[in-house]
Amino acid sequence: MASEVVGRMVERMLARAESGTGQPVEEVINETLYHEHLRLSKAGSSDEAKADRAFYSKIRHELPRASVNRQQRLLHEIVERYAREIQGHFDPKAYAVATKFAPPMMNALLNGLSPGRLVTRLRDVPSLDEHLIIQGEVETLQRLHERGTIVLTPTHSSNLDSMVLGLALHRMGLPPFTYGAGLNLFSNPIVGYFMHNLGAYTVDRLKTDPLYRETLKEYATVTLEFDADNLFFPGGTRSRSGAVEAYLKKGLLGTSIAAYRQNVMRGKETSNIYIVPCTISYPLVLEASTLIDDYLREAGKQRYIIVDDEFSKVRRWLDFLRGLFALDLRIYITIGKPLDPFGNDVDEQGNSLDPRGRKIDPSEYLLVDGEVGEDGVRDSVYTGNVARRLVGAFQRENVALPTNVVAFAFFELLRKKSNERDLYRFLRGLGPEISLPMPDVEQALALLLEELQALAGKGGIRLSQSVGSGDIPEIMRRALKSFGIYHTTPVIQRKGVRLHVGDGNLVFYYRNRLDGYGLMGTRRLVPPRRPG
Amino acid sequence: MSRQAGEKKPRIAVLGAGNWGSTVAHMIGANGYPVSLWCRSEKQREEINTHHTNTRYLEDTRLSQNITATNDLEEAIVGAPLIFVVIPSKSFREVVRAMGEVLRPSQFVIHATKGIESRTHLRMSEVLLQETCALQFGVLSGPNIALEMCQGKPAGTVIASEFPRVIEAGRSALVSEQLRVYANTDVVGVELGGTLKNVVAIAAGMLSALDLGENAKALLITRGLSEIARIGVALGADPMTFAGLAGIGDLMVTCSSPLSRNHRVGAALAKGMKLDEAVEKLGMVAEGVNTAKVVHSIAERHRLDVPLLESVYRALHENLTPAEGIRELMQLSSRYDIDRALQGH
Repeated sequence: MASEVVGRMVERMLARAESGTGQPVEEVINETLYHEHLRLSKAGSSDEAKADRAFYSKIRHELPRASVNRQQRLLHEIVERYAREIQGHFDPKAYAVATKFAPPMMNALLNGLSPGRLVTRLRDVPSLDEHLIIQGEVETLQRLHERGTIVLTPTHSSNLDSMVLGLALHRMGLPPFTYGAGLNLFSNPIVGYFMHNLGAYTVDRLKTDPLYRETLKEYATVTLEFDADNLFFPGGTRSRSGAVEAYLKKGLLGTSIAAYRQNVMRGKETSNIYIVPCTISYPLVLEASTLIDDYLREAGKQRYIIVDDEFSKVRRWLDFLRGLFALDLRIYITIGKPLDPFGNDVDEQGNSLDPRGRKIDPSEYLLVDGEVGEDGVRDSVYTGNVARRLVGAFQRENVALPTNVVAFAFFELLRKKSNERDLYRFLRGLGPEISLPMPDVEQALALLLEELQALAGKGGIRLSQSVGSGDIPEIMRRALKSFGIYHTTPVIQRKGVRLHVGDGNLVFYYRNRLDGYGLMGTRRLVPPRRPG
Repeated sequence: MSRQAGEKKPRIAVLGAGNWGSTVAHMIGANGYPVSLWCRSEKQREEINTHHTNTRYLEDTRLSQNITATNDLEEAIVGAPLIFVVIPSKSFREVVRAMGEVLRPSQFVIHATKGIESRTHLRMSEVLLQETCALQFGVLSGPNIALEMCQGKPAGTVIASEFPRVIEAGRSALVSEQLRVYANTDVVGVELGGTLKNVVAIAAGMLSALDLGENAKALLITRGLSEIARIGVALGADPMTFAGLAGIGDLMVTCSSPLSRNHRVGAALAKGMKLDEAVEKLGMVAEGVNTAKVVHSIAERHRLDVPLLESVYRALHENLTPAEGIRELMQLSSRYDIDRALQGH
């Protein structure tokens, strides 16, 4: 795989340099040297950093005297280094083995985190499996898997997502999907071993070199062309605010159209690529505190002062899973309707449909004067269309859970009663002395549920079982229990007949999952994130 | 559609043979492209094909010989790499839905309709996206009085699309010594510029009828543009678009042309006529009357401050007399000349 990527990349860079549509090779290499130098100056003294420094210092010395041929060779070496690192230790044979053993192993990892503990206590540990509800277009996904290559595009709230999805795919009878995982996730050797051999490739977010980014995209494109189903988190990183992603990164998403075009041009038989939206809804989110603190620091700028709380990660995982199991909470995985690489709906037979349900041939979107042709601007507009459709699907397939609805009603009621207009100052004032009478919150909740029922009736959102039941005391009980079991401070606490703020930031975080629907007459509080 | 000189020019379809549709077809035909012009009326088709005239809309114009009129939508569309849709907003959806039956993903669609669908508040390109497989689309808009164009007078126009090839195709079909074609990527802004100016045109009619002078008209045009931009930006447009042909350009021509339907409605109201009477006297509906309603609800939804457009709405639909409306507007506290929210974009 890596050699295919390197070959294509080098060919493309040379062609661009020659035609004058891109930089000369020497400039490309200089840019790499610049970006890598910046990165390495802050990279410490790990073995990898040392090896990288040695590699680039060799290139820096050679470049000024290098002939054209030698320059091309250096470019080749750099791209190859990138591609090998991205690919990691992936081994097709190990992949086959891992495919068989990974799901139970993953379950084990999630349940115990220590294989030793597993062997002895396997029977006592409830399976995470039982805590997943998989719903939506599962059958369509299974069918399309037979007909083409799948790009699964989930919402992203937690580092647990990829593992939860691994389990879900196994439950649906599908093999593991390839996906790009942040370098930090490979630091745990056990998790790292399995991730590599399940086709996870490495993404180093600290590498800012455009050549690296392009190599990464090419890698994803090639895996798709080689029929490897892919998992992309189109939001890029975990949602900091807790809101469902309303702005998507188009880089990786765009590889589906690139791979499709290559497939069509080669006359490949199973050329189809299907993009399948998916939402993951957690009643509690493992990293909620860190994420919302990070969000507020960024969004509120100087208005907000952050207080850090450190916890050992393993300990938090255990607490989180214990909480989940003890309260019998469910994680909802919802599979949305599939799209083609242009953003059109796809039926169960894999046909692309126009908005009125008429069958169309998507390859015709690529025609230039009657032939399939490359056009970067055109394809990025198509990808923009896919992104828009995915954002819509995320909204509709989002599942409102008791923690979300209670946090929303509570938060909005507090906002209405406060005369602080500035969101960040309001949040800063949300201390434990702030409370509301229980009946008031229940009343607001009743109205919110009515609105949600109506919205869900139109297919605008999904409701969890208990939220759908409309049983207010039950919803309240579930939410308060969930809020009390995992987070350091209970998010919302009941004291007598009043509900008190426990952790205002987390109330905001869990509320944000329902942001952007205009519920309770509110405006969007979390603006869609844009680049830069 | 880039091609060598001497290569055969592809056939282009134009849907709608009103005055603007016929004019678009005429200009494309004059550039040497075969044109299929679709219209509903058989009589009109026959007249265009036999006499090369369309007297109902363009009395004195001899249309290009390259135009073939047809009543068969499929015949017009199939095989044409580029399709212009020039259908009033009221029947736009119905026609593009029918077009969707035969349209293929490789075909480019450019619409030239200045209006918003009154029921849904959608722009025409949004309707197009709901009804067809077209993704490679654009919009044609600008200060283009059909009659002047047919008389061969010089003009400029804008094609907006996110797809450079669509702009290129539209430009090669239309560009001539008489017509300059400018490109823009801001589809939303170009659509809204052409649509919202109709409301200001009604106010311009009122000013003329009340004989308030040229200073007042300049005040109206600039403040009107400012409000148009405010709505545009709230709906996702680039404010700079309104400084172009599809913004200030179109607004100027509409406000200074006493023949436009919107202008006439405004004038009639200023002379004390009721809206129903004014519309009846006109014999056709001015787009601005509906657009004012749409603007009113958009302003409400996005909580936008657009006093001028709101006054037109109230004059049309809430019995505010134009004279009172102007008095109210003159009494508002004046703020910054240039909207600060639009600066620094």
